[in-house]
Amino acid sequence: MTALLLAAMLFPLVLALAQGARAGAWAVERLAPWAPLPALVLALMAPTGTIFEAPWLLLGSRFGLDDTGRVFLLLTALVWLLAGWFARGYLAGDAARARFRGFFLVTQAGNLALCLSLDAGSFYLAFALMTFAAYGLIVHSGSDEARRAGGVYLVMAVLGEGALLAGILLLTQLGATTWDFATLATGRIGGVAAALLIAGFGIKAGLPLLHLWLPLAHPVAPVPASAVLSGVMLKAGVLGWLRFLPLGTEALPAAGSVLMIAGLVGMFFGVVAGLAQRDSKVLLAYSSISQMGFLALGVGAGLVLPGAWPLLWPAVALYALHHALAKSALFLGVGAVDRHGANRVTLALLALPALALAGAPLTSGMLAKLSLKGGVVDLPEPWPSALAILLPLAAIGTALLMLRLFVLLAHRAPSGGPARALLLPWTLLVVAGVLLPWWQAAITDKVLKPGVLVDALWPLAVAMLIAWAASRWRGGWPAIPPGDLVVWPERAVAWWRARERPARAAGDDRSFWRMEHEPLRRAERKLTRWGFASALWLVLLVAGIAGLLR
Amino acid sequence: MIGDSLLPLLVVLSSFLVGVVIFFLQESRVVLRSALNLAGAGAKLGLVGYMLWGVLNRNDYTFRHTVLPGFDLVLNADALAMLFVTLSAVLWFFTTLYAIGYLEGAPHRSRFFGFFSFCVTATAGVAMAGNLFTFFIFYELLTLATYPLVVHRGTPEALRAGQRYLAYTLGGGALLLLGMVWLQTFTGSVEFVHGGSLAALGTTHAAELRWIFLLLIAGLGVKAALIPLHGWLPQAMVAPAPVSALLHAVAVVKAGAFGIVRVVYEVYGITFAQALGVLTPLSWVAAATILWGSLRALTQDDLKRRLAYSTVSQVSYIVLGVTLFGPVGTVGGVVHLVHQGIMKITLFFCAGNYAETLGIHRVSQMDGVGRRMPWTTAAFTLAAFGMIGVPPLAGFVSKWYLGIGALQAGMDWVIGVLVLSSLLNAAYFLPILYRAWFRLQTQPWPEEHIPVRGRRETAWLLLLPPLFTGGMALFIGLFAAMPFSPLDWAQLIAAREYAP
Repeated sequence: MTALLLAAMLFPLVLALAQGARAGAWAVERLAPWAPLPALVLALMAPTGTIFEAPWLLLGSRFGLDDTGRVFLLLTALVWLLAGWFARGYLAGDAARARFRGFFLVTQAGNLALCLSLDAGSFYLAFALMTFAAYGLIVHSGSDEARRAGGVYLVMAVLGEGALLAGILLLTQLGATTWDFATLATGRIGGVAAALLIAGFGIKAGLPLLHLWLPLAHPVAPVPASAVLSGVMLKAGVLGWLRFLPLGTEALPAAGSVLMIAGLVGMFFGVVAGLAQRDSKVLLAYSSISQMGFLALGVGAGLVLPGAWPLLWPAVALYALHHALAKSALFLGVGAVDRHGANRVTLALLALPALALAGAPLTSGMLAKLSLKGGVVDLPEPWPSALAILLPLAAIGTALLMLRLFVLLAHRAPSGGPARALLLPWTLLVVAGVLLPWWQAAITDKVLKPGVLVDALWPLAVAMLIAWAASRWRGGWPAIPPGDLVVWPERAVAWWRARERPARAAGDDRSFWRMEHEPLRRAERKLTRWGFASALWLVLLVAGIAGLLR
Repeated sequence: MIGDSLLPLLVVLSSFLVGVVIFFLQESRVVLRSALNLAGAGAKLGLVGYMLWGVLNRNDYTFRHTVLPGFDLVLNADALAMLFVTLSAVLWFFTTLYAIGYLEGAPHRSRFFGFFSFCVTATAGVAMAGNLFTFFIFYELLTLATYPLVVHRGTPEALRAGQRYLAYTLGGGALLLLGMVWLQTFTGSVEFVHGGSLAALGTTHAAELRWIFLLLIAGLGVKAALIPLHGWLPQAMVAPAPVSALLHAVAVVKAGAFGIVRVVYEVYGITFAQALGVLTPLSWVAAATILWGSLRALTQDDLKRRLAYSTVSQVSYIVLGVTLFGPVGTVGGVVHLVHQGIMKITLFFCAGNYAETLGIHRVSQMDGVGRRMPWTTAAFTLAAFGMIGVPPLAGFVSKWYLGIGALQAGMDWVIGVLVLSSLLNAAYFLPILYRAWFRLQTQPWPEEHIPVRGRRETAWLLLLPPLFTGGMALFIGLFAAMPFSPLDWAQLIAAREYAP
């Protein structure tokens, strides 16, 4: 099994290296879609506790499969596999598809390895690999929007890396002596460290205010990349929370409450901003922000009430699996509709994950929401009563978003791009999304009661009603620019650049960070002036001689 | 063994003799000169390898020669010295290869390689100096040996930079001398010993010792480019690329930082320095230098200038690590001595490749260069990510240990400095990578000297050194926990320093 573990991590990496070195192009092209296969087999077959110790690697590394890692590895490997398969057909006509494949494989290697990392150092390594390589996926098209999205993504990713580094280092202060997650989880954690870790992974997970990169980056990337970005890479942030936060051992009521509130804000904000979009991929990106709110809510609840974590953990894992499969299926669906046009087959296949996301009866979404609700009932007031009102409202919102998605896609004609071999991987993903969560969920006996089904159904009915009313509405449709709040910092940067000296003679550097501000230059000139240096020197020399002769 | 005591001397002489012979070679004797250079570098590598093994087994390699009563010339290969000697021997080898390729057909090569060898001789001496006097001698020799390299091109700009370089470093040397003489009035000869030798004077001469510390650090800080003493470094980048590589990674800047390591650990002793209260102000200066260098690097369009300011910033990581009281901080500072050297030399090799192959000197000319020179740019990318501190590259390991060391020393604010510096590093390195890899070439290359031939993007001698050192930056980070890695060696040094 150790060999399989190593293969799961190394196979994509070896293919990526071969791609980078332009060696064996023929084999790489054919093998690339299968890169996550060893990881998938590992997630399905390997016994828990398969460990590979590498004390010689980095700061001493441990890789292996535990219960948390298995769920995330399963969803990660499956989505990457099918998205990679989809990409072969989808990008068949793209001249730069080799470069795309390289970045795709490296991102994938990082994403798979982080599911298998059992210590902080290797997790951070895999996370960084995934984060930086994903830049290549986002800017793939090379358009202005892609570059803008890539820039915002990179700035936020680097900020996130910084927050994570500080947060992880601060863990040592409270007695963490090794970097193993098993011992790290039992150590105490400070408020600052918790905040840094929540925010650092929150950037990846798209918490509100930290989400700015997300609605820009997900739509501009090619469809298979959007599917993995939105479907699984957001989950890497959640896995980070699960790995680093003292869930189930230590109560952090303040941090937990903040995370829960952030989750709730994200849930509703994602719906509102998503409804205001005209591009189906942007809508789906906002839907991801909304859905990640549910996961943040679950993790936050675990921080507030460690006692509830044994119930919450399976709920969070199930929700992650459900959203990963449903959201990536929706993204691939947008790609399939683009190439095949909206017809009965594509719309029907699209409807399944959409219904699941909306939490329709008997779907994975209903299972996930049900188990999440079961986990939060023991929270201190006012949480249970507030959530009893808010969660159904959020479900209505999600249903509205999905209806809006259908409105946007319903009359799409085929765009004429390559359409070979798209339906099969997409269908497989849809089917996996329907079936797998039932296998994962432990509460299947509770769901077939009439009350439960009605609970799942009425938000859908309300959403239909609202949608019907909206279709009668003759007024304007609100518009929020994709990326919403990012407009403000961008304006600030533009303003800063506008007041920059027109000293372009020295060189025409229009990079993002070109800020040749006068005060800095002047200070440097003063510091390095002859007068200053020699005065300093003289003072030291005279003082020294005086001291010596005294 | 009698031979053992001569080994340190042989290491120093191996490059000195080569240098002397090369001076008398005719300009046209390219093959002989290259062979001599490589033989010298190879011999030094062999000797250093043999000594490394011995030092690990606690063999004592000390060469002592009394110049004047009270002034001994001492060369001693302890663990710390070996770290620096190994670094300089390995990087000298690669720089020699690179310089042979870089200067192909250029004038005054005998002069260049002569001084080049002297420069490495002085560095080896600085590394193995067993007392302050010996250290000072080699430290000044280094100044004199590098000046001709800085002004090698002979342009007015180079001469101006050389003048500034000389003024700064000689001034610093004077302060160092003063501090040393003052110190010797109390103690006689100042030997470098683990844990320092001044603790006994602490009760009677605390004030004087603080002043002396200031003088010594100011003298060393000039070469280590601590602000506000860093004015010479960004100008000195007019020197040819191999010189910049050596200056920034191995010889000059490192000699300053290494001197500070010696003074804190083996003259004052870290415990005593902490008790005197001189470490905290030094850590502030180091932190300010880290941030200032990065801020200045942000706005430079000239590639080598940007790298030069990056050096200002990165070398102070070493100084910062030294000021963190505790073994982990020591490991972080000492290991960065090696890590920074390997990453920075790669960056300068690559900058030299861009200039020599395509005439690219500015960041703004680098659009699309990744397609034209993928291997060089790959090496540059590795080193740049290392500088930012992205795992698994070498810089990450340094930063990790510095951060934990800071927390152990109770200096939490250092984490902020480290993170901010990483962000700034990202802010000035990532745009370069973006241009190189993701932008398309929009204008013809400024001066294409070396055309593409098949898959060979530039001359082999220019391409191989950065590939090796870039690979090393990855390797020593990825396998940091292996025995004999720089990290392992730094832990050995820290263990010996803090041993009771």
